[in-house]
Amino acid sequence: MRQLPMKQIIILLAAIGFSMPSIGQEDPFQTVITPAFSPITWERLVNAEEEPENWLMYSGTLDSQRYSQLDQINTSNVGELELQWAYQIPVIDRAETVPLVVDGIMFITEAPSNLVAVDAATGRQYWRYDHEMPDDLRICCGRNNRGVAILGETLFMSTLDAHLVAIDARTGNVLWDKEVADHEAGYSKTAAPLIVKDKVVTGIAGGEFGIRGFIDAYDAVTGELAWRTYAIPGEGEPGNDTWSGDSWKTGGAATWITGSYDAEANLIYWGTGNPGPDWNGDVRLGDNLYSDSALALNGDTGELEWYFQFTPHDVHDYDSIQVPILADIPFEGRTRKVMMWANRNAFFYTIDRETGEFLVGKPYASQTWAQGLDVNGRPIRVPGMAPTYEGIMVSPPIVGATNWYSPGYSKDTGLFYVTSFDGEQEFFKRDEDYEEGERFTGGGGRYTQPMDAFHSSIRAINPATADIEWEFPIQPRSSGGITTTAGGLLFSGSADGYFFALDAATGEELWHISLGRRVHAAPMTYSVDDKQYVTMASGNVVYTFALRD
Amino acid sequence: MLTNSFIDRPRLLISAACLLLIQSLPVFAEDAGNLYNTAFDIGVGERYFERQCSRCHGFDATGNDETGAPDLTGRLSRASSNVGIYNILKQGIPGTAMLPVAADLPDSQVWQLVAFIDSLSTDPTNVNLTGTAEAGSGLFSGKGECDSCHMVSGRGGRLGPDLSRVGERRNPDELVSDIIDPHQDVAPRWWTIKVTGADGVAREGLRMNEDSFSLRIMDDDSNLWSYPKSQIESYERLQESTMPSYAQTLTDSEVDDLVAYLFSLRKEI
Repeated sequence: MRQLPMKQIIILLAAIGFSMPSIGQEDPFQTVITPAFSPITWERLVNAEEEPENWLMYSGTLDSQRYSQLDQINTSNVGELELQWAYQIPVIDRAETVPLVVDGIMFITEAPSNLVAVDAATGRQYWRYDHEMPDDLRICCGRNNRGVAILGETLFMSTLDAHLVAIDARTGNVLWDKEVADHEAGYSKTAAPLIVKDKVVTGIAGGEFGIRGFIDAYDAVTGELAWRTYAIPGEGEPGNDTWSGDSWKTGGAATWITGSYDAEANLIYWGTGNPGPDWNGDVRLGDNLYSDSALALNGDTGELEWYFQFTPHDVHDYDSIQVPILADIPFEGRTRKVMMWANRNAFFYTIDRETGEFLVGKPYASQTWAQGLDVNGRPIRVPGMAPTYEGIMVSPPIVGATNWYSPGYSKDTGLFYVTSFDGEQEFFKRDEDYEEGERFTGGGGRYTQPMDAFHSSIRAINPATADIEWEFPIQPRSSGGITTTAGGLLFSGSADGYFFALDAATGEELWHISLGRRVHAAPMTYSVDDKQYVTMASGNVVYTFALRD
Repeated sequence: MLTNSFIDRPRLLISAACLLLIQSLPVFAEDAGNLYNTAFDIGVGERYFERQCSRCHGFDATGNDETGAPDLTGRLSRASSNVGIYNILKQGIPGTAMLPVAADLPDSQVWQLVAFIDSLSTDPTNVNLTGTAEAGSGLFSGKGECDSCHMVSGRGGRLGPDLSRVGERRNPDELVSDIIDPHQDVAPRWWTIKVTGADGVAREGLRMNEDSFSLRIMDDDSNLWSYPKSQIESYERLQESTMPSYAQTLTDSEVDDLVAYLFSLRKEI
């Protein structure tokens, strides 16, 4: 190793000393003198709610409520929020990221599949990881990445070429890089994984390419596959006969958003996507299990414990790719352990999360495809609403009454919150043969009105009755996620680039700021040195706010 | 099988020759045009488009603000020729969500897709109109008084869309419909809003922009007003055009003349 001459060392030291702030001077960087964080154990993840200064997983906590105990920012002072810093993502695309914060360090995923670690108090970079990407990606809907998971000192990230990458949280170095599926066959990965004990649980995207969806668990240390549960039963397995012929082999049921976990029940809850081809059900007669379903999997083995199919034999692309929210709520005189789900098909469901029993469900947005739900929660279809060659108008449109963007739940109000869309679209059917790696959708959709003619809103739903308690209108078609806090606040964003705070109890607007570009992400909140921050990505920028000092 | 081979072989040869031309003499290649532009080719291209492209660009190719995918039914901002379209399809547009077509897609199919995209816009040289643009120009600023609301090349009113290049985005049939039945397909920019703000004054104007927390209008005197929604006392939105129908005002032949004029309005190259 070449040694620096003593003269140069002295000059270097002098330069460093010159740039250091004097003692007592206000400087945001003083908080990161000791940036080392303590390893994230499984116990810390189970009890993540008890350390609200950190945001330790995509949905905040394993029950995915996106509810923070922080209350420094609250209904009385939220109007004093000020920008603290902004981080510009270098690759121009849209940011769907929800950052993690661990002991003052923030991890932000970027399009197409990159990751950066910054000081959570200043937004300044520690390191970045740029994933090497092939040039023949098969992706349906943009170059997105929604976040990472952390266990110990390792981050786990999905990539568009269908890999799962383990990255050292202190340096950005790759620890292992695992191909989950063949991207040339139409597989890709966009969602943040979920840690369950010592495993990394992760889904797959590609429902528009005739894939066969699955949920995987990988050993966090070695990257070895521990178990794989297919979202479509194989030959001879129960449910396989809900697919005509060989259609199950290319039936989609992708698993492209993060699930939830109940430590007491040891159950993983995960949504599944549309059956393929999306809009032509003629070639896949039957209920098409377990597409458009909530799956409850054993936390150790991945075995299916129960399922609830929201939209049997879907022909409108109503993925059940929503984050399941778990809570214990009062229901008909007693406390029930439930899973709450506002589905892309425009119905809200409250389901017993131990058994899968349907408890209550109602439409929460405009819809024309179903007359209602039967006593088991199965939709009663309106005849003649399947796509046709000529086109037929159906509500909700393909993008759904909601979609992948996170709903929220407040422990204080007991309300479930969702960004909803009232719209309609002409659905078309087409005949297509499956070709590996090619789109396999069997049709598409067309709006006949401008987007501004439709309606989006934040809707608050009582999960015990499925009734809407209040709504706050925002610009269509908004696709922001929702976070609530012990400060009585609901944070979200809108299609027209606003970041805003509502009173979680009443829906009253308390604060908003124009960030200039569409919000595709969900907000998150954390604190550093007892100062609460709230972060939201808009357009290609990650913005962080806090109260005026 | 025999029939397919019979058809495919010459096309492949032509395609290969075409590619050679592109590589060596791009100018001539552009002039050579697309050899896969029959109605059959366009149909194949359309089916490919519906399958591979419609997710972003829309099933009717009119684009999608949400995905940022542009409208492909008028003049293309990034390609002025079939070769330009071909190059974008083959290479994608770096730094955007526009990815290239599959590398192993046969060139014949790429050209069929080019033919379909090309078919979405109207080639003015293939259009025979009964009206005359010169007479239409006179109607525009005369009997029709169109210029009281519409600008062409910087002259005219502000109360309707600028028509300086309307021929690039509207075909003659659509222009007839626009003149006879202006309430069809009114873009939100031209809706009307009646609003009373904190000052208690009622104003009415064109909906220049509306978002979750505010709106902006332009009144008949071209004054620009911006309102926070939280301070609005009353608000009404009319999703129809302020333009009158000319069905009774102009004769059929006058409409034809006006259409000929409007269709001639395009960027001078």
